[in-house]
Amino acid sequence: MTLLPHILNGLTLGLLFALIALGFMLIVSVMEVINLAHGSLFALGAYFALWLIAPELAGFTEVADAYAGLPIALRYGLALVIAPLGVAAVGMGLEACLRRTYGKAPLYGLLLTFGAALVLEEVIRTVWGPTEQHLPLPDAINGATLFAGIIYSKYKLYAAGFALVAVFCVWLFLEKTPYGAIVKAGAHDSEMVRALGIDLGRLRMLVFGLGAALAGLAGIVMVPIWGLRPHVGIDIVIPAFLIIVLGGVGSFWGAVVASILVGLAVGLTGAYATEWSLISMYLLLILVLTFRARGLFGRKSILEN
Amino acid sequence: MSQKPITRRSLLTGSGVLVAGATFMGPWAHTRVYAAMSDKPLKIGLTSDASGQYANSGASDRRGMLMAIDEFNQNGGVLGRKIETIHIDTETTPATGSRVAERLISREECAFLIGAVSSGVANAISQVAQKHGTIYLNTNSSSPSESGENCHRVKFVWDGNGTNFAKAAVRNAIDSFGKNWMLVTNDYVWGHDTSAATRKLVDSYGGTIVDEVLVPQGTRDFSSILVNVQQAAPDVVAAAVGGDDQKAMRQQVAQLGMGEKPAWINNQQDWPDVYGLPLDNLFGVFGTTWYWKLDLPGVADFVKRYQTQYPDTAMRVPGNVFYNGYVATRELLRCVEEAGTTNNIAVIKLLEGRKMSAEDRMQHNDAWIDPATHQVQQTIYLATANEGTADPDDMFKIVSHTAPDTVADTAAQDECKLESYEDTPSYEV
Repeated sequence: MTLLPHILNGLTLGLLFALIALGFMLIVSVMEVINLAHGSLFALGAYFALWLIAPELAGFTEVADAYAGLPIALRYGLALVIAPLGVAAVGMGLEACLRRTYGKAPLYGLLLTFGAALVLEEVIRTVWGPTEQHLPLPDAINGATLFAGIIYSKYKLYAAGFALVAVFCVWLFLEKTPYGAIVKAGAHDSEMVRALGIDLGRLRMLVFGLGAALAGLAGIVMVPIWGLRPHVGIDIVIPAFLIIVLGGVGSFWGAVVASILVGLAVGLTGAYATEWSLISMYLLLILVLTFRARGLFGRKSILEN
Repeated sequence: MSQKPITRRSLLTGSGVLVAGATFMGPWAHTRVYAAMSDKPLKIGLTSDASGQYANSGASDRRGMLMAIDEFNQNGGVLGRKIETIHIDTETTPATGSRVAERLISREECAFLIGAVSSGVANAISQVAQKHGTIYLNTNSSSPSESGENCHRVKFVWDGNGTNFAKAAVRNAIDSFGKNWMLVTNDYVWGHDTSAATRKLVDSYGGTIVDEVLVPQGTRDFSSILVNVQQAAPDVVAAAVGGDDQKAMRQQVAQLGMGEKPAWINNQQDWPDVYGLPLDNLFGVFGTTWYWKLDLPGVADFVKRYQTQYPDTAMRVPGNVFYNGYVATRELLRCVEEAGTTNNIAVIKLLEGRKMSAEDRMQHNDAWIDPATHQVQQTIYLATANEGTADPDDMFKIVSHTAPDTVADTAAQDECKLESYEDTPSYEV
């Protein structure tokens, strides 16, 4: 059994994990809220995209025959832009409910977002039904490709590339733009940011919206691999949380490195001892936390209070 | 705020009333005096999943039971009593299944329990049911252990099991596709049972198992497994992967275009899991116990009745899960009517060995309930994706049907040790 395809697999998987964890990481590190509704926002993104990509499938028969006649690549492109915006709006609504919990113990935010997750999942079940759905894809990113004698899914390679670009864009935003600086400053010293005349409430709302949009985006990219059903979001909350803890709360690169490590751990155990593949990420977490209690690149955060 | 003190007299009176009430109406297995002597409605507990991995199949199962009950109620109920139902979500979780069963029997005084998709949940429910003597119909869970080591006097298993499907498929597949097999197995009871059955059959027909990979429950990424499949290059992959894991796997196999080669033998394919999906997701050969387009008398009428009863359901035609829920419930109620009593032992004796005609069950062969294992012996169908169809609901192409005695799970007869009638609490409600 050759190792190379499995390493490639692990790296691809790691990038996908990074995409999943991105929005979660942003909200945890900037707002210090553990957003348990992340998975539901992930699912919501995919369902919004379903409306936009396959309007008939979602029961939109009368509204736009003309729209349904557009090439699928165009509808897919539109979905990648519009669906995350829809999820961002939902996220901002959720943030409005969260405001009362700011400055209180992190448990309040945790409980509220947990409740929101249940509500959102039920809403999805009611609106789109409980059955498995299918998100159609443009032909260009569908199908298989042969590389070194092994068949790879084109879509998975596309998804990994997409994840790479998304990680880079978020990094660019946080590190290289004045908005990123304000966001980070807001997390470090909110009083000072307020004193400088910046509307912190609005800032938090926008950050939460961005985190939610990233969750939605991850949903659109991931469901063609995992399948689309109302509770698909449950599958991602635990890995996302684990990656943040492993990488260190508040560390962008920590999360990215942790994602790659988790991807490699799952991919390689999947190849040689499949029954250990899921547990491998937890073993990795135990190993890292034994030596570095705050994760790989972690620093002290409000969550430790 | 004034508080009324509890006097000795009121305490004694209260206790007296409680004791008398409990004797008369209480949940004691042998003394449900009030219930037995009245013509109060007959209550049936529905133990189907409404959340978790099998929520969707659970709903379909429940619709089947409710249609059968509705048909009886329209004809005056059973034994002249109206049938009422109470449903509590078993959450695809065995611990919840036990709790729900206990409550439905002890507090709600249900005469019978019906419903299951997950074998773990079914096993948990049946242990509680046996303790109380309450007849339980496992409608849709298909682990061979349900009618083998986990069988019970009160439990009747209505679905075909992993061994039945493997028997129907293995010999055929060895002849058609080749002798080198790889097993992809979900790492829990149903997966292991099914893979053990397949392994035994492959060995006995001269095939070789080249590798087996165990898939942990909750796996979403199958790429490393699929790379292994490519590297092992078997002739046939026999997959026993269920629920959401199976959905993710199917999607990824379809994306890789690996559905044609190697040949895939997927154990059973439940209709609610595939309804509405593109046909390339339905790769390989898979089993089922019933299909809505079987060319048999009564099928079209049954489909019409389903559509009339459930005009708003997203699933426009009934599938195997609905079918099992329906036929199981109908047969139980017929037995109660024939027995002229709800006495559990009398009904159990009628169910054991019961013969059901092919026409009545809308299958190709007569079916019967094996008295030694309590599993329904029925026709097993193999199907593939129905490529080129214009009807989006007509997803399966039935490729074969096998008579029950050819696919019987003979190992279950050795493993199943039913409790004696004397050890099973008797009741009437």
